[in-house]
Amino acid sequence: MKKLIVLCVEDEAEVRDAVIRDLAPFKSTVRIEAAESVDDANTVLEDAKATDQDIALILCDHLMPGTHGVDFLIKLQGEPEYKLTRKVLITGQAGLEDTVRAVNEAELHHYIAKPWKADTLQEVVRTQLTEYVLKTQDDLTPYVATLDGARLLEAIASRGRDA
Amino acid sequence: MKRMFGLAALGPVKSIGLVTAVIAFLLPFIFTFEGLSPAGHRMLAIFLMAIVLWVTEAIPLHATAAVIIFLNIIMISDRAMVPLPDDFAAPGFAVFFATLANPILMLFLGGFFLADGAAKYKLDRNLAKTLLKPFGQKPANIVLGLMLIVAIFSMFMSNTATTAAFMAVVLPVIARLPDGDRGRIALALCIPIAANVGGMGTPIGTPPNAIALGALNEQGIQISFVHWMALIFPFMIILMLITWQMLVRLFPFSSQSISIDIGSDYDRSPQAILFYFVAGFTILLWFTEPLHNISSSIVGFVPVVIMLSARLISDKEFHSMQWSVLWLVAGGIALGTGVGRTGLDGWLIGLIAWDQMAPALIAGALCVFALVFSTVISNSATANLIVPIAISLAVSLGEDMSRVTTVVFVAIGASLAMMLPISTPPNAIAYATGQVQTKQMALIGGLVGAIGLLIFILVAPRVWDWFGLMPG
Repeated sequence: MKKLIVLCVEDEAEVRDAVIRDLAPFKSTVRIEAAESVDDANTVLEDAKATDQDIALILCDHLMPGTHGVDFLIKLQGEPEYKLTRKVLITGQAGLEDTVRAVNEAELHHYIAKPWKADTLQEVVRTQLTEYVLKTQDDLTPYVATLDGARLLEAIASRGRDA
Repeated sequence: MKRMFGLAALGPVKSIGLVTAVIAFLLPFIFTFEGLSPAGHRMLAIFLMAIVLWVTEAIPLHATAAVIIFLNIIMISDRAMVPLPDDFAAPGFAVFFATLANPILMLFLGGFFLADGAAKYKLDRNLAKTLLKPFGQKPANIVLGLMLIVAIFSMFMSNTATTAAFMAVVLPVIARLPDGDRGRIALALCIPIAANVGGMGTPIGTPPNAIALGALNEQGIQISFVHWMALIFPFMIILMLITWQMLVRLFPFSSQSISIDIGSDYDRSPQAILFYFVAGFTILLWFTEPLHNISSSIVGFVPVVIMLSARLISDKEFHSMQWSVLWLVAGGIALGTGVGRTGLDGWLIGLIAWDQMAPALIAGALCVFALVFSTVISNSATANLIVPIAISLAVSLGEDMSRVTTVVFVAIGASLAMMLPISTPPNAIAYATGQVQTKQMALIGGLVGAIGLLIFILVAPRVWDWFGLMPG
């Protein structure tokens, strides 16, 4: 089974490492990729495209050298292949205007304010990934153990066919 | 989003499957087999291709069914593209299209409507809550209660849906048990096993039953809903009780009491009440067929008519029904019809000197064969491939081998396969929760399979004879 990708875009190495560390419980089901800038993130997207892997979730900082996070997410929303990708902003410095743009133009799914707690982040990631697999995957069983098992079982029950 | 096309996008197993299927299809056109008619050669091509496609799942199972129906029409029907010899009585092409609306499928469709309604109005949960109460709080008793309820539900709903629904109920209970409590494994395993075994209990419990009944219908043998239940249900319950004892002994609970929380109340809306009435009425008619002689497939259409007219099932729910299952079964019936009409069955059976073996042994061997086969491939595909041969074998051996016993054995064998996570979707779900290891599943699944085989092959036929349950 090809693994889904969670992409974390964050310029500060320390913060990036903290996010990656908090995502450890999901490692068995998704591949976690880190990028230090939007340029770097675009390389990850290219690679994923080349190897036919889907980007399930992007956790993105806003204020970074080069392109800002919100602009990156808005650009992605315009591309059909990232339409279903779950988009989350993790930031302390996005002003109201940028946040509103992210909600309206990038259909932002969640906003996490820095500093965050590990279990809050995990809960958000679990919910977002569950939404993603419910919308995109035919076979939900591989995700029951690490994502929202109760919701996935419910969905399996309503799709449930014997073969 | 698929960005790759062609063979590479399928992955190695599936692309090899597709290539092998094409080669298998071509073989009968390259080699000529002695004693096999020209039509038989064409059917052999379809049959070989079907085996490869259903085993490798290079294309979806129901797509293979569609391919079979189509190829039957353009190769061996009265509208064959390349005309067949005049002495071959080609079946009308409509026969193959008609498999998609075979009466057995209409019976199955009725089951889908009842199952969807039960899920929609939460009748499944509420009934489970009510039925589980008498079993108290002792863990071993709760396991028994769960198993019986899951088995009864999966007699009417898909095994997969029943397992998923009950796993959702049981997972929080498992999470509350202490880490080292082996009872966790018992709880996680009891549900898929009960669903797999329970599916055997009625004609609509699982697709292999429908495939078996469809083949019997073609032979002019009608088995009613209750007749099937009379044949299977008692043994199913015995197997369930034995399995229960094995589970609670192999994986004993350290906790003294557990409680299962199914928080919901009976829906009393007019729609829900109409549904309860329709479901009760349908099941009552199914159970009383010998009294009124209305065929179970006609009865099965009652919930379809009422629930669609009263909008108990919305357009959206109607569209998302498990049509692929019906197509899969139809493909099996079409394959069986083709194999029978072209004489391929007789030729295949002639390859082995069956008359050297005792008929009872052959029927038992088919049951074992179905179990082994469906441990690794889909239960329905197994039944689709084995039933046509099994029924012809029974016909060719005449009175020594009951056609009913033979195909029932194939259906039961397919349902008894539950050793691996890939054996059935219920197993896959239980395994996916991370609470069960493959070796634990293999142990208990292997035991259930072996004991099930013993019960059905050695005991059941005698009991059926005593009670005169086997039609001549």
